[in-house]
Order: sequence, then structure tokens, then C-alpha cells
Amino acid sequence: MTESNRVVAAVDVGTECVKAVVMEKDVGIRGRAIVPTRGYFQHRVEEAMDQALDEAKITRSDIEAIAATGFAAECVPDAVSVTGETTCHALGAFHHHPRAMSVIDIGGSDPKVVRIDHSGHVLDTRLVRRCAIGIGTFLMFTARHLDVHPTQLQELAAEAERAAPIGSYCSVFSQVEILEQLRDGTNREDIALGTMQSVAERIYEIGGLREPVVVSGGVAEYFPGVLKSLSELTGFHVEAVPEPIMTGALGAALRVL
Amino acid sequence: MKRRVLESTASLKETMVGYYLELGSAAAAKSAPVAWCTSTGPVEILRALGYKVHFPENHSSMLGAARTANDYMTRAHARGYSQDICSYLTADIGAFLAGETPFSAFGLEEVPKPDVLVFNTNQCRDVRDWYEFYGRTWDVPVIGIESMHMIENVTDIQVDAIASQMEDLVPPLEEIAGTRLTSDNFSEIIALSKECVDLWKSCMEMAAHKPSPVTFFDSTIHMGPVVTMRGIPAANEYYRLFLSELQKRVDDGVAAVEGERFRLYWEGMPIWGKLRELSELFAALSTTVVASTYCNSWIFDALDAADPFRSMARASLELFIVRSDTPKESYIERMVREFSVDGIVFHDSRTCPSNSNCRYGMPERLREQLDIPVITIEGDQIDLRCYSSEQTKTSLEGFIEQLEDRGRPGEGVGD
Repeated sequence: MTESNRVVAAVDVGTECVKAVVMEKDVGIRGRAIVPTRGYFQHRVEEAMDQALDEAKITRSDIEAIAATGFAAECVPDAVSVTGETTCHALGAFHHHPRAMSVIDIGGSDPKVVRIDHSGHVLDTRLVRRCAIGIGTFLMFTARHLDVHPTQLQELAAEAERAAPIGSYCSVFSQVEILEQLRDGTNREDIALGTMQSVAERIYEIGGLREPVVVSGGVAEYFPGVLKSLSELTGFHVEAVPEPIMTGALGAALRVL
Repeated sequence: MKRRVLESTASLKETMVGYYLELGSAAAAKSAPVAWCTSTGPVEILRALGYKVHFPENHSSMLGAARTANDYMTRAHARGYSQDICSYLTADIGAFLAGETPFSAFGLEEVPKPDVLVFNTNQCRDVRDWYEFYGRTWDVPVIGIESMHMIENVTDIQVDAIASQMEDLVPPLEEIAGTRLTSDNFSEIIALSKECVDLWKSCMEMAAHKPSPVTFFDSTIHMGPVVTMRGIPAANEYYRLFLSELQKRVDDGVAAVEGERFRLYWEGMPIWGKLRELSELFAALSTTVVASTYCNSWIFDALDAADPFRSMARASLELFIVRSDTPKESYIERMVREFSVDGIVFHDSRTCPSNSNCRYGMPERLREQLDIPVITIEGDQIDLRCYSSEQTKTSLEGFIEQLEDRGRPGEGVGD
């Protein structure tokens, strides 16, 4: 696995999006794709792979190894490596920031805090408590009900006068709280900010955070306001890794590169 | 990596079926009084008085293992028993309301009705609430021991207080049984019970060997006799057989999990409906859960035939579940050392707070004090509504990857 032109692919099969990367050794990512998750996972895996190969301008026969990670990693055919999300996000984040740090992966389903040492080894992993899983899905719900594109939720929150209280640690109860706020005529901007703060609290409660803190996963990509709220809550500098949504796929690719 | 099945499992089944049949036939023929007893209750007094004893917790764990518990709980919820209280209680009462029992597999038409229900609240308050439902339903006496909790060091004053409560149980139990407690009988039962728990302890200690000949998941099944048959010679006979098989595995270097790489401690209740799934998951990760608080909970070291009441009282107070966090942490620290444990899994059981020791900062403290990886998984002993296979798998796989990372160069150099 030392050839300089070795080309691999990896797919991170998540609950909200399927992410694929094509990567070449000593070159980096040559192709990438993000496909919203719907229907059978296998179909979206094919779609994401095809798009990533198109962008890389290569064909499947040029791929020397396929790696998989994520909720439905077993739906990636021909994967020679299936690796847990924790390891992949740690690897992917460390690729961008080679240092000891806390990595927070916030995807569609299970947010987690992973602490790694200066060599990239995992020291500690923690998952959000059961009731709060589905944070990414909760944010998508919020964007829909506030009638904005997900990426605009932060802009909306920036206009808030004061955060609407979204207090439940249960994702479903929180959704109901948002509907109640809308019913009661609360400003959409205040609800957007309340949502960001609520998610930040759920992440903070996982525990184990130490600086420096980086965030990977789809929430960091589409809802950067969560990072701002988390930074305000913890007093830590919190930054997203580059291309945060691709971190898991990148980590999986690095396993076979 | 595959799991190896223990050969003594066939004898275990025979032993347990024999116990259920004897209980059922005595109840049907009314040839002996029937008592229901909590699993760490004063069973030795009952057996010395000739009672046949049923353990509702054993019944609930069977409902859990058969994954039928959730079919029944809703009936108890509808009677006002919350989803948030002990799922053993709601499943057992629900099964009763449905008129069904896993005992039917052994030819018993129903769970034998009690002449008396005997609790010890050293485990929790729920056991008493549970028994009082049946006490009201059948108008039978519910008596027992009201234990103290959060004990730092077991004192003579506490032992005397519990021993007095145990002695006070004797007159009503004698009256119901229509017989008298004799010291010879009582001492004989205590001696049998002590031999049983000593044998069980020896079996559990076999897991200190590397590789371990037995896993926590095996032990949860093989603990049946020590829970339900203390004071009955057949239990001791079974554990002699089980111990000899484990010893043979050790002598032959046979591992319960082929290619054992990591050894874990399990803190908290088993997840009865997922024993196989979890056992296979750990086996696939070449990881053995070698020791647990739960399976060790039936090691009553203090039992002494020469001092029956006080030794039973002391044994009931020395239990892990009755203790404050400081002795609990010391205990786990000793287990980690003696069993060469690489990591600790805490099971946060939704409806069993007394057996969920992760809620007051213990995992954080042990992580720091022992420099050992810990993880908390969320679930329940039998209510599978509280359990996510996917989330648990993600957690545990990540945890094992973390253990793998600890073995590599540069390990442990934090920020």
C-alpha cells in the first residue's frame, strides 16, 4: 500500500446523508459526493460512488480498495474495510489537524466526543445519552418548520433578540417544543437561536471535552451556529474541521490508502 | 472469532427443570408451603422451615431472555405501574394478568401461588411494591426485611438490626408452615447455602485465568442455581460439575472467546433479551467480559452455620448493591486488578437505578483513579423499548477500537 498513485474510495453511510470520497495517495481527495439518505441504503451508496468517480474522472476498475463506515456501512458492497465511526472521525480530523484534541462528531444520529492524543490515538469516546440521539435529524426538522434552508438557520439565529427556551433533552420532545413556540407566535429567529443552544447543551453534557476542540460531521457543515453556541457555552474555541461532513469518509479512506 | 458453548449447560437445564418441577408439584399437591422470595432475601430460613421457594426475579429474567417481557408490560402500565419503575415488576405482573408463564415449558400451568411473600429491600423498594400487588390480589401476607442502604462500613449495630428483623420473621413463617425452626435444620441449610456460594465464587474466579474459560454471558445463565437453589444439595452438585469443566478448560488452555485480546468488567444488570447478540458482538471483537458485579452478587461470604441469623444479616448488608460508592469503587478496583481487566462497561439500566452505578459520577472517578477506559451503554434488564442495538454496537465497537489504540506506540500521551 505504498504506491504513490494508489487510488481508493470510501463511503460513509449515514442516517441523513451518504458521503463518498475517491482519494489518491500523495494527492488527496479527487472526487467527493453527498447524497441525501432515502429509500434503500444500497441505492444511495451506488449513487454517491458514481458521482464521486465522475468527479475524479475515473472508473470503478481504477479503484484499488473500497472502505466503509457509518450507520449502514454493511450496505457498501465490496468493502475491504469496515471501520467504526469513532475511529474514522478521529482519523479524518487528525489528518487535517495533527495534534492532541477533542473531536466532536455531530451527524444525523449519534453525536460523540472523541479525545485523541498527539499521535492520533483514541483516548476516550463518549456518546450522547439515548434520548438525545437524532440531533442532525432534529435540526433538519427545525429548518423545515422555520421554513428556511438548513444552511440559513444560523443567519436566522443571528437576528434573534433572545433565545426561545428549547429545554428538553429528548429530540422528539424538543420538536414538539418548537411547534409550540411557532403556535404561540414566537419569533422564528429566537426559535432558531434556542435550537442551536439546545443542541450545544446536549453536546456539552456528553462530557470529556478538552481544548482544542474541533467538530466534524454534517451538523458542522450545515448548522455552524451550533459551534458558535457551543463555544459560548463552554468558553472553548470551537472550530469545524475542513469539509466537516466528509470527515468520516476521509477517515475510512485513510484506513485503506 | 467464535463463542464456545459449555458442556455443562445440559446438566444446568436438568438441574433447573428439576427445581421448577419440584416447586410446581409441591404447590399442586399442597405437600409443602410455598413462599416467594427476593433473590437476595432470607431464603435459608424458608428452606429450613420446609418451604418450596419461588423467585419472581428469576421469572422476570426468563421473560426477558425469551423476549416476551414487552408483550406483558403494557398490562401492568394500564394498571398504573409506570414505564419508569422496575421492568421485572411490570413484566411479571403483566404476565400474571395475561395468565401466561414460561414455566409452562416445564408443564407448570401457572406460577405456584404463594402462602407468603418474603422480601428484603436491600436491593430496592420495588421488590416490596411488587410483592404487595400479589399480597393484595390473593390476600396473603407480605413480610420481610427493611434494609438500610448506602452503607460505608458494615457495623455490628446494623447487623444486629437486620438479624432482629430476620428473627421476627420466624414466628409468622412457622405459623404459616405449621412447623418449628430447629437450629439443626437451620444450620444445615446455611452450611449448604455457604457451600453453594463458595462453589459459585470459585467458578467466577476461574475467569481470572488468561484466556478466560468463561464469559459474563455464560455466567448469567449458569447462575440460575445460586439464585434459586441455595440450600438445596442439587445446586452444589451442579456447581462441582461446572467448576470441573472450567478447571479443565483452564488446564487445556481453552478460551471462552477464541483469540481473546481484551478483557472487560460489566457493571450493572445483564440485558437479558440481548445476551446472545452482545455475546456474539464481543466474541467478534475478540473480547471477553470476564467479571461482573451482577454475577458476583450471589457470593455471600459472611454466611456461617455457627451464627445463622447474624451471618445472614451481615451477608445481606455486605452486598455491593447496599453499599455507598466508596466501597463499591474499591470493589471494582480489586476486580480490575484480580481479573486483569482492560476496560469497564457500565450498563445504565433505565428501570433499575439501584443497579445502575453510572449516575453519580462513578465512571469518571474510576477512569481517573484506575487510568482505565470506561464506557456507559444505555438499556434495560428486560424492557427492550429502552435499548438500541445500533447505538450500543456503535458504542462498543468504538470502545474496543479505543482499547486497540491504547496498545500502540504513543499511547496515553494526552493533551
